[in-house]
Amino acid sequence: MTNAYHLHNIKVSLKKKEILSIDDLAIKANQCTALFGGNGAGKSTLLRLLAFTHQASQGEVLLFNETVSWPLKAKHRKRIAFVEQQPFLLEGTVYDNIKLGLSLQQVQTSQHKTLIEHALEQTHTAHLSKQNTQTLSGGELKRVAIARALAYQPDILLLDEPFSHLDYDHIDLLAQHLQSFCQQTGKTVVLSTHDHLQGMALSQQTINLRAGKVSPPLVDNIFNGRLEGQNFFTDKLCIHTTSKLPQAQHIAIDPRQIIISNEPLQSSMQNNFSGRIIFITEQSTTVRLVIDCDERFHVIISLESISTLQLQPGNQVYVSFKASAVSVF
Amino acid sequence: MDYFTNSLSGAFALIISFDPTIYQIVFTSVAISVTASFIAAALAIPSGVAMALNQFKGKGFLQHILNTLMAMPTVVIGLLLYGLFSRLGPLGQFGILYSPLAVIIAEAVLIFPIMMNLAITAVNSADSRLVPTLVSLGARPLPLAIQVIRATRYAMLAAVITGFGRAIGEVGAAMMLGGNIAGSTRTMTTAIALETSKGEFEVGLALGLILLLIAFILNISLSLLNRPAHD
Repeated sequence: MTNAYHLHNIKVSLKKKEILSIDDLAIKANQCTALFGGNGAGKSTLLRLLAFTHQASQGEVLLFNETVSWPLKAKHRKRIAFVEQQPFLLEGTVYDNIKLGLSLQQVQTSQHKTLIEHALEQTHTAHLSKQNTQTLSGGELKRVAIARALAYQPDILLLDEPFSHLDYDHIDLLAQHLQSFCQQTGKTVVLSTHDHLQGMALSQQTINLRAGKVSPPLVDNIFNGRLEGQNFFTDKLCIHTTSKLPQAQHIAIDPRQIIISNEPLQSSMQNNFSGRIIFITEQSTTVRLVIDCDERFHVIISLESISTLQLQPGNQVYVSFKASAVSVF
Repeated sequence: MDYFTNSLSGAFALIISFDPTIYQIVFTSVAISVTASFIAAALAIPSGVAMALNQFKGKGFLQHILNTLMAMPTVVIGLLLYGLFSRLGPLGQFGILYSPLAVIIAEAVLIFPIMMNLAITAVNSADSRLVPTLVSLGARPLPLAIQVIRATRYAMLAAVITGFGRAIGEVGAAMMLGGNIAGSTRTMTTAIALETSKGEFEVGLALGLILLLIAFILNISLSLLNRPAHD
């Protein structure tokens, strides 16, 4: 699988304060990557770096395995679209704004009309086409900015908090749209979100930032306890890991790596527990479950699985996961 | 007091009767200042935008130089250009001294740093997302500068008007380089200085009133431009 980005020894400083420091980070192409982290963790800075609107103080960014120079060449620039958390639209109509993006990207004028109409349609903003940008609401503004970004058909879509200001209907529409965007060949999405569940549901890769550094993923299945050999003991369960860390006190299990079954599984997976479903909720195109096996496991599965397995709250189920799915820290 | 009120009514009479001498001076003055403003704006706005949009070594120092030039007394500019344009100076052979061109150049030099500084301020005080947005949309340097000027056009126009206001009220350099030649380089300010020293207070006052009126119009247009909403 190719990398859309590969960052080496990146440091970004602002007014002598280091705001981002990344030794090595790869972001895979053809999938959706979610960026998590609290306020000031460096999510927006990292996105600006990926958008090449902000230059790193040091380090190297590879774009599709290619070293790129600063300022970015037009052919690279055209592959990347960036929608800021609070996007800026220029004066004039929605249509003018999208057209400006196309002109600046040097897209042939003859294609403008088709591309603009397509982008407006994708973001459900066709009715706003003639409206002045200063009269748009927060959510409309966001969707128009996304339309402007999609119009020139980039390969990489970078979105900073894309779901903020959107109502539930539009969050779902955008989530579906992003998923289908990623499924096209050669398309990549990187988005930052504070909504952990939404991000997990959408993405295949997650990056957790903390104080400007990539930190262990903050998944929901975090347990405290002690490690003895490769077995981790919480108060109630013994979980097999592949860790050799002597001092570890926490483990985390990616909710997408946990398998649910109605019968105990005969497999190579070392961790098998039985429990009760205590919570089911739909999250965009996926379903989130909480299973109580003395410890509570958060699990993300597809919509199809839930109907195949006929899962309902209160059901007795089995959870299984590999020892290698457990991160220890 | 009678002297003053009589002069004032005399001045109004001159203005209302469209006295040709007075309007000839006003026309010269406006023509010179407008030309100087256009030349200065054509150079200062692109320079200011380029300076604001780029980071380079010595930018802070250049900013200090600009600030110093803004505060430079006009007679010093007059003096330096006089040295350049006088018969023995490096540009003496072109015979520019005591021509409208000399005054235009002097006033353009005078207002260039003002306009450039205001253009820099205009870009710097634009929305901080403007430039990154345009860059991420693929704007190369020239289209970027054009879009930035377009987005800050009211502030840019204000810079030009401020420069024009400074040029039309300038007396030192206009006197030294223009020589106050009637019908050629006699501007409102140099004429006021001359008429007053001749004791023709009415003419001086009439020109002064017109100058005030121009300043008033400029200020009104500036405050209209600086209104928060431009719709």
